[in-house]
Amino acid sequence: MAYRLCYYTRMPESQNTTASTRSREEEEAARPGERQALWFCAYTPLELLDAAGFRPRRLSGAVERLEEADVLLHPATCPFVRACLVQGMEEIPRGPAVFVNSCDAMRRLHDAWKDMVGRGGGAGGRGGEGGGGAHMMDMPRRPGPWAERRLAQEILRLAEELERDGGLAVTPQSLKEAAALRMEVAKRCLQWGEGLAGSSRMRLAEAAQTLPPRLFLEGPPAGLAEGRGVPLLLTGNLLNPRGLVEVIEEAGGWVKTADLCNGDRPFLDLEEVDGETLEEAALSLARRYLNRRGCARMDDARQREARLLRMARECGARGVIYASLKFCDPYLYEWPRVEALLRSEGLPVLRLDSDYQDGHAGQLSTRVEAFLEMLRQGRRRA
Amino acid sequence: MNWMASLKERFMDRLSPATLRSPLLWSTAEGLARSPLNRPAWRADAVALRYFLRQTKRAYRGGDPVVWANLLFPSELIHAAGAVPFYPEMAAAVAASLELAPRFLDAAAHAGFSPDTCSFHRAILGAWSEGYMPAPACLASTDYLCDSAPLSFRYVAGEIGVPLLLLEIPFRGDDAALALLEEGLEETALRLAEACGVTWHAYLRGLGEAVELSEEARKRLLEVEELRLRHPLLLDGRDALGHLSVLASSFGHPDAVSFYGELAAELRERGERGEGREDSDGVKKLLWMHLKPYYPHRLFEHLQEHGGRIVCEEYNRCYWGEMDPRRPFRSLARKLTGHFGVGEGARRARVMRELALRHRVDGAVHFNHWGCRQSAGGAALVRRELLREGIPVLLLEGDCIDSREYQEGQAATRLEAFLESL
Ligand code: SF4
Ligand code: SF4
Repeated sequence: MAYRLCYYTRMPESQNTTASTRSREEEEAARPGERQALWFCAYTPLELLDAAGFRPRRLSGAVERLEEADVLLHPATCPFVRACLVQGMEEIPRGPAVFVNSCDAMRRLHDAWKDMVGRGGGAGGRGGEGGGGAHMMDMPRRPGPWAERRLAQEILRLAEELERDGGLAVTPQSLKEAAALRMEVAKRCLQWGEGLAGSSRMRLAEAAQTLPPRLFLEGPPAGLAEGRGVPLLLTGNLLNPRGLVEVIEEAGGWVKTADLCNGDRPFLDLEEVDGETLEEAALSLARRYLNRRGCARMDDARQREARLLRMARECGARGVIYASLKFCDPYLYEWPRVEALLRSEGLPVLRLDSDYQDGHAGQLSTRVEAFLEMLRQGRRRA
Repeated sequence: MNWMASLKERFMDRLSPATLRSPLLWSTAEGLARSPLNRPAWRADAVALRYFLRQTKRAYRGGDPVVWANLLFPSELIHAAGAVPFYPEMAAAVAASLELAPRFLDAAAHAGFSPDTCSFHRAILGAWSEGYMPAPACLASTDYLCDSAPLSFRYVAGEIGVPLLLLEIPFRGDDAALALLEEGLEETALRLAEACGVTWHAYLRGLGEAVELSEEARKRLLEVEELRLRHPLLLDGRDALGHLSVLASSFGHPDAVSFYGELAAELRERGERGEGREDSDGVKKLLWMHLKPYYPHRLFEHLQEHGGRIVCEEYNRCYWGEMDPRRPFRSLARKLTGHFGVGEGARRARVMRELALRHRVDGAVHFNHWGCRQSAGGAALVRRELLREGIPVLLLEGDCIDSREYQEGQAATRLEAFLESL
């Protein structure tokens, strides 16, 4: 089947659609009658949504009208979360929404969503106007046997809730199959992305997270570009793919690894999922999520720092861009240690704060250009 | 002049990390606290002052292991080890009241912490980087009410290589989750005992005692709540807002029993004498949500001048049920999940509505502390819930710690307009 991937291009203001990071192609790929389950945080177990017969759809938010979220979300809240609420309010999406109890911002989004968009599906909740519940899943911060059991408990509970919300009954077999397919997607995504420009890697990652796995596995889309320029590691949370990565490329930088929630990170260090019973399969899936490459909310800072360094070395990065969405506490508190570590290892680093719209592209370009210039001069000196 | 002001006058201009460790500071502070010139508004305040002075002195003078904890971490677990509980969030408030916070906030900015984070934690990190905080044997935090404590504690733990004990509280307190939380609590206690050099046997004995004391204090706290309901204008909420530190840190210690016992006794005595009734005409009873500014300010004077009176506060409440010393971990698991800040925002909103209705308030003020994704983050939801009951709510933007982010004139005008409208 032929399909087109989402092409992120910066559109003039006037052409902005309601949710401008959402592409027409993505919507076309959603077939009539398909049951969608919405998700937001990269810790959402997509395998479970697949096994329950839903088409996972990540919301990217109505970025251009963030202020409409003020009705329920304080302006000093993660702009991604605010954008998602606005999109939810205007679309009143059909289908359940799956939230992860990963950070304050996600908790607030869940609260606001239940109030404005759809009611809770869990614990006696019922489908609201949007025809789907708002489900919340706990996500431990620290790996280990206790966390695995806790997360497995949550996965099983979510499976039951999704079934009550119109999904299929999840079996050990369906969960393992879904997990194997997602593993394949992750492998392909990383493999196809080798040597590509950062923006193309982001497109691949986005397709891997939004398309049904079998559709994604049909092959890489046309039009992916080779990378070139100063090799960089981009690390952070969830960034507007139409913003910063393109700015970096225009300035002559090559994002060799995008360690982002919507970049390469969700595909790194995945474990196989196994188990005879549903409980065992859930436990195994829990291990996959707890042991894979973590974001800054995870508690094991030292392991994260070591992995970051290794990632920078492995991709041959000459510098690191640390970019995160405004008001994202996990990244704000992590930054001073990461900065000290990278500097002590002789890796130059640039810190950028994103408002998700990346509206000040001019300012952004100037800073990125200056950083790249510094890296180039470093090479000349060397 | 109260003891804090006298202490400030004597030591402020030569305050350094070394001063905090000097015997002179602590003997002077204890002397001033005992002095007849120091007349607290309530007898219980003297108990609290004695308790905090003793614990803080222990923390800074060394000797006993110190455990840094956030406000929701069960203090019983720390008292059980005979360790010193140290609450950096309270220390930040004290620093603000001594007008030291701007200096610490600047130090935090210098270390790379963004002004978009909560200033309680920025002040903590700044004070820590300047050597003003006591060295912890371990740090202990829950993952509620907010992300700030686990994240800022993680930074400190990482810098000095001591354990961070993280208690993860389930979003929903169903039976299965509660059973696992109980296990998590036991595991945390084990690590805490180890970090403090206490044998498990001795620790468990200490925990039984701590939970028993906690239950005693809880009963007295419930009495205080009943008495405040009966005599709403007796204990001014602006004084009661300070009781949060007692609630968070002293349960499991005999002083919590004394504090609430003394407070209940005095409320009863004064109530029987008819105090607090004479000025009830035209008073606008208020619920105060979240915290207050800790640096010198005149917000509460403005409130009083316009007939406002805080009769109940969001955090000063007994939110948990009976504790059983024979099942300490189960009791603590229930206490943790009993907090209205755990789980959905709608739960907090519901509890605030019930509190407001119970105290028959005329209005409510929510102090929106900048950078607080928990409280300010959920304020609009709480406001809607109260408005549905016809209770007007003022969302007052400000900062509890950073006086530079507070405009007295603006805040006073908004508060006055709100009170007039009631
Ligand atoms: S930063 Fe972490 S917690 Fe936040 S959305 Fe990304 S994966 Fe989820
Ligand atoms: S003020 Fe808010 S963000 Fe700061 S420590 Fe308290 S709950 Fe956390």
